[in-house]
Amino acid sequence: MRVEATSTQDAAARVAAASSRPRRAERRWELLVLLMPMLLLALFVFDLPILNTAYWSITDPATGGITWRRFGDFLATSSYGRVIWRTFLISLEVTLICVVLGYPLAYWATKLGPRGRMVVLGLVVTTFWVSILVRTYAWIVILGSAGLVNRSLQWAGLIETPIAFLYNELGILIGMANVLLPFLILPVFAMMMSVDKRLLQVAETLGASRMRIFWTVFFPLTVPTLAASAILVFILSLGFYITPAVLGGGRVPMIANMMDLLINRFARWEMAAVVSVVLMAITLSLYAVYQALRERRQ
Amino acid sequence: MKIRTGKAVLLFAASVAVAAWAGSAQAEGELHVMNSGGEYGDALDKCVNEPLLADEGIKVITESPGGFAKLQAQAKSGVITNTTTDGSTGDLYRMIAADLIEPIDWTKLDPEPMFDEARNEHGFGAQYYSTIMAWRSDAKAPKDFAEFFDTENFPGRRALPDYPEFVLAFAAMGGGMTADEVAEGIDLDKAFETLERIKGDTIWWQSGAQPAQLLKDNEAQYAIAWSGRVIDQEGVEHSFNDGMLDISWWVVAKGITDEERDMLYKWMAAQSNAEKQACLVEAIPYPGPSPDLASLVSEDVAKNFPTYPANKDVQWLINGQWWHDNAAEVERRWNDFKLNQ
Repeated sequence: MRVEATSTQDAAARVAAASSRPRRAERRWELLVLLMPMLLLALFVFDLPILNTAYWSITDPATGGITWRRFGDFLATSSYGRVIWRTFLISLEVTLICVVLGYPLAYWATKLGPRGRMVVLGLVVTTFWVSILVRTYAWIVILGSAGLVNRSLQWAGLIETPIAFLYNELGILIGMANVLLPFLILPVFAMMMSVDKRLLQVAETLGASRMRIFWTVFFPLTVPTLAASAILVFILSLGFYITPAVLGGGRVPMIANMMDLLINRFARWEMAAVVSVVLMAITLSLYAVYQALRERRQ
Repeated sequence: MKIRTGKAVLLFAASVAVAAWAGSAQAEGELHVMNSGGEYGDALDKCVNEPLLADEGIKVITESPGGFAKLQAQAKSGVITNTTTDGSTGDLYRMIAADLIEPIDWTKLDPEPMFDEARNEHGFGAQYYSTIMAWRSDAKAPKDFAEFFDTENFPGRRALPDYPEFVLAFAAMGGGMTADEVAEGIDLDKAFETLERIKGDTIWWQSGAQPAQLLKDNEAQYAIAWSGRVIDQEGVEHSFNDGMLDISWWVVAKGITDEERDMLYKWMAAQSNAEKQACLVEAIPYPGPSPDLASLVSEDVAKNFPTYPANKDVQWLINGQWWHDNAAEVERRWNDFKLNQ
């Protein structure tokens, strides 16, 4: 409306008018209206239930009063702490595997031509298109006792009895690393592509070896992104449910599986609420570290 | 700007209205039930639910899986959507203890003839099923559960149910108890000693279809499984010896309306019909509670029933009361065992 009123003025004035205060207020309104559905959804479907869960963890269902007793139970029962500790170890292992496999792959991809790069990234991204459940079950076909890998190894005469890849921690690590690798490769690759090539050229003209250029110039520039992606992978690992359930054979329970047991089997919601509050506190602290790293990079 | 905001408000109001409509009380003639799904769920649709819609105009809407925890969830939330769920005998007693279900008015339900043990004060016995041992044809056949859990003389991995109710009694037999003794009550020390001893050779299954698949894939050589899932599977042997006979129950959720109860009773009564049960056993060999069922199916089908005389005689019936009385202790020790592996 304001714009029409000033239509007789020249272009420069119009641009100025567009950023004038009433126009900005209108923008804010539009933004709010556009964001409203998402905000309402997040508030009612996500935030309030989470607060409710937190509330359950400290209420006594019998009296309705506030109690910290269950957090005491949580600390007193060694198995809860053990599962959380195991979940952390597995998540850490998965993160290390992703870093060790993902970083070189991303680096290698940057050295390829545009077409080769597209193919490699395409293959990495394709894993997002296949449902996690399908991918997890596919590992049974590949890694099972009568699976492709074991049969090939037996056929080649390298092993006599099948290797137990599945239904133990190894199976979980393979399955989780497979799902989470793209979360590390894609951001690290993007960062590597944006590294200023002139810095490397300067190092080269100053007579640095290729090893030296990589370790003293290139690698430090990519470390913040690598660290941030690794933390992302770690946080995602903490909540894994399907992979440990399917590939762990029920022998290596992680936090999510423990919550399933508490909620669906024993209907002990309050205890499950305590576990989820603890998990959420840990995850949020890690996310704070992730944000801090990101901000430092920018 | 005003118009746009007005529109947005209108849109928002409309979406709220739609949400409210979707969540509104169910329409008349609709019966919401929960069952364990899979082939059994499909068979129920075909053999029971479709005829009921044609005969009585009752539309059955199914949610799966069901179970104790879901029934408790809806009771806690105060919105009783589902009128029933299926459950094992252990579940039935847990639901009674948690005050989630109401007694059945058998006079009003008025079923066709049923076996007495399938008419519980709180449950309609819909199916008989067994939990039994199975093994790969190329593995050494165990004759009882002491041998089944003897990993030295019977080497190989065991696929075991990830449910205390379906594994602890057998594990106790692996620790020296007899079938007659576990039918009375289980010595938990003996059961968990056995499980501790063999846990390195165990794969825990949660879905009934898994054990047969694990045996076929040679991931496991021995399994404890539900009878309908391992009978007539190629390369898989089974034995009813010392198996656990159980009944799957329908219950009546507390807090449903009188109209819903009427429909639910009609739905249950339909399932007491021998011909409908004969239709159901085509999908999965778990016989219903009608004494007339045996005469409607061929000998080949009947001999796989857990209730076939030769099978029933070597089994024992689960003791629901023991599970009810020891629920807290079982939960604590099972959690300890499972989470500390």
